[in-house]
Amino acid sequence: MIFTEIRAFWRSFAVQRRVIGALFMREFVTRWGRRNLGFAWLFAEPLLFALPVIALWSQIRSPFEHGLPMIAFVWSGYLPLLIFRHVTGHALYAIRASANMLYHRQVTPLDLFIGRQGLELMGNIAACAVSFLLFYALGLVEWPQDYALFLIGFFYMSWWSIAVALIVAALSERYEMVEHIWLPISYIYLIVCGFMFMAAWLPTSLREVALAIDPPLHAYEMIRGGLFGNRIEVFYDMAYLSYILAFITLIGLWLMRDVRKHLVLG
Amino acid sequence: MIAAIGVSKDYHSETRRTYNRVLSNVSFAIKPGEKIAVLGRNGAGKSTLIRLIAGIEMPTSGTIERTMSVSWPVGLTGGFGGTMTGNDNIRLICRLYDKPFQMIRDFVEDFAELGKYLAEPIITYSQGMRARLNFALSVAIDFDCYLIDEIIAVGDQRFQRRSQEELFDKRADRSLILASHVPHIVKEYCSRALVLHRGRGKMFDDLDLAFDIYSDL
Repeated sequence: MIFTEIRAFWRSFAVQRRVIGALFMREFVTRWGRRNLGFAWLFAEPLLFALPVIALWSQIRSPFEHGLPMIAFVWSGYLPLLIFRHVTGHALYAIRASANMLYHRQVTPLDLFIGRQGLELMGNIAACAVSFLLFYALGLVEWPQDYALFLIGFFYMSWWSIAVALIVAALSERYEMVEHIWLPISYIYLIVCGFMFMAAWLPTSLREVALAIDPPLHAYEMIRGGLFGNRIEVFYDMAYLSYILAFITLIGLWLMRDVRKHLVLG
Repeated sequence: MIAAIGVSKDYHSETRRTYNRVLSNVSFAIKPGEKIAVLGRNGAGKSTLIRLIAGIEMPTSGTIERTMSVSWPVGLTGGFGGTMTGNDNIRLICRLYDKPFQMIRDFVEDFAELGKYLAEPIITYSQGMRARLNFALSVAIDFDCYLIDEIIAVGDQRFQRRSQEELFDKRADRSLILASHVPHIVKEYCSRALVLHRGRGKMFDDLDLAFDIYSDL
C-alpha cells in the first residue's frame, strides 16, 4: 500500500520535473530566442545594470567608508539587490504572461512560476559570479575571507527573493493595485534592505528592531561577513531567518494554490 | 469513457458583484470511439465546456470523470508560445508529453505541410496554418479523445479531407468532441450532438433535429 503511494509520488514528481524543464527551456527561447547573443544575455543583462552603477558610485564616494573598500562594499550591496529586484519584478503578472501553457493539463501555475523565476534567478546568480570574477581579476575586490558564509548569504538572498516573488506573482493576478505599488515599494526597499548600511552602524535599539523585521538585512550581513571576514562586526541569525522565510514561502504557496481561478484563459 | 455529471460553471463578473452562469447542470457521457458535436450560438459555453472536459478549468459544481486520455483544447488560441518558432513549439510539446522529438516532427511536417514556415515564429502564421499545426501536433501526440474547438472549419479543403482521414480511417477507435457551427462538418464528423442554450445542454441522436433546434435558437 505505502509502496504504491511512494511510487505514485515519484511518478508525479518525475512529470513535474519534466514539465518544469520544458517551461524553463520555453522561457529561455521566448526571452532571448536563438539569435545574436542568446545565452549570453542570461548574465549580460543584469551585468549591464550593475557595472555602470558601481562605476558611478565608486567615483562619487570616498574609496574607504567605515574602514571598508568602497567598490567591494557597493558590489556586495548592489548585486544582491539586483537579484531581488529582477526576480520580484519579473514576478508581476508572471502567470498571466504564460497562461497559454495552462492549456496543457499537467502544467500548473506553480510550474510556470518555477520555470520563469528559476531562469531569472540563475541569470542573476551567474551575473554575480561573472562580475565578481571580473572585479577580482581587475583587483577591485578581494577573495572572500569566509567562502561558506559568503555563499550562504547569497542562498538566503535568493530564497528571500523567490519567496517574495511568489507572493507578488499570486497577488498581482488578483489585484491590479500590486502593479502600481510595486515600484514605490522596491524603491523603499533600496533604502531599508541593507544595501547601504551594516547592522553594526545602527544604534543598538534600532539594530534589534531592524534584525527582527528586515529579513534581507541578515542575508546582507552574511554576504559581507563572508567577504570582509573579521575586519567587520556582523549580526545575523540563520535559524530565525529560516523560520521567517519558510513562513513567507508558505504564504506564497498558499496564495498560488487557487490563482487559476483568477486567470482568464484564451 | 468521459462523463459529465451535473456540471455547472459560474464566472465572476468583471464589472459587477455578480456571477454569470455559463453552464447549468449539464450531463452527458461519451464512449470510446464515439464522436459528438457541441452546438450553440456564440457565448453559449461551447469553449467553456471543452476547457472543463480538458481539465484545465474546474467546474463550479458537478464532476467530470475521465477514464481515457484527453487532448488539450485544440483551437485557435492557447497551448503554444506565439513568439517561438513552429519547431520550438513542437519541441516544447514533446517535452511536456514525453515524446521523441524527431518522430513527432516528421509526422507534423508531413501532415501540416508548413514546410519552411516551421522555422518561423507562429505569430506570423495565418489562422489556417495555426489550425494545421495545432491539429497535427495533437494527432501526433496520440490521445484517446480529441477536443477540437472550431478549427477544422478554418482549414482548407485538403486539410479537412486529411484530418477526416486521420480521425476516422486511421483512428476510428478514438473519441472526438467537436465544437462547431458548420453543419456539413458536423454531419461528416459526428454521430450525436449536444446543443447548448442558456446554460442548459441537451443531447440529440438525430443530427438534423439538432440543427433544426439550433437554427431556431
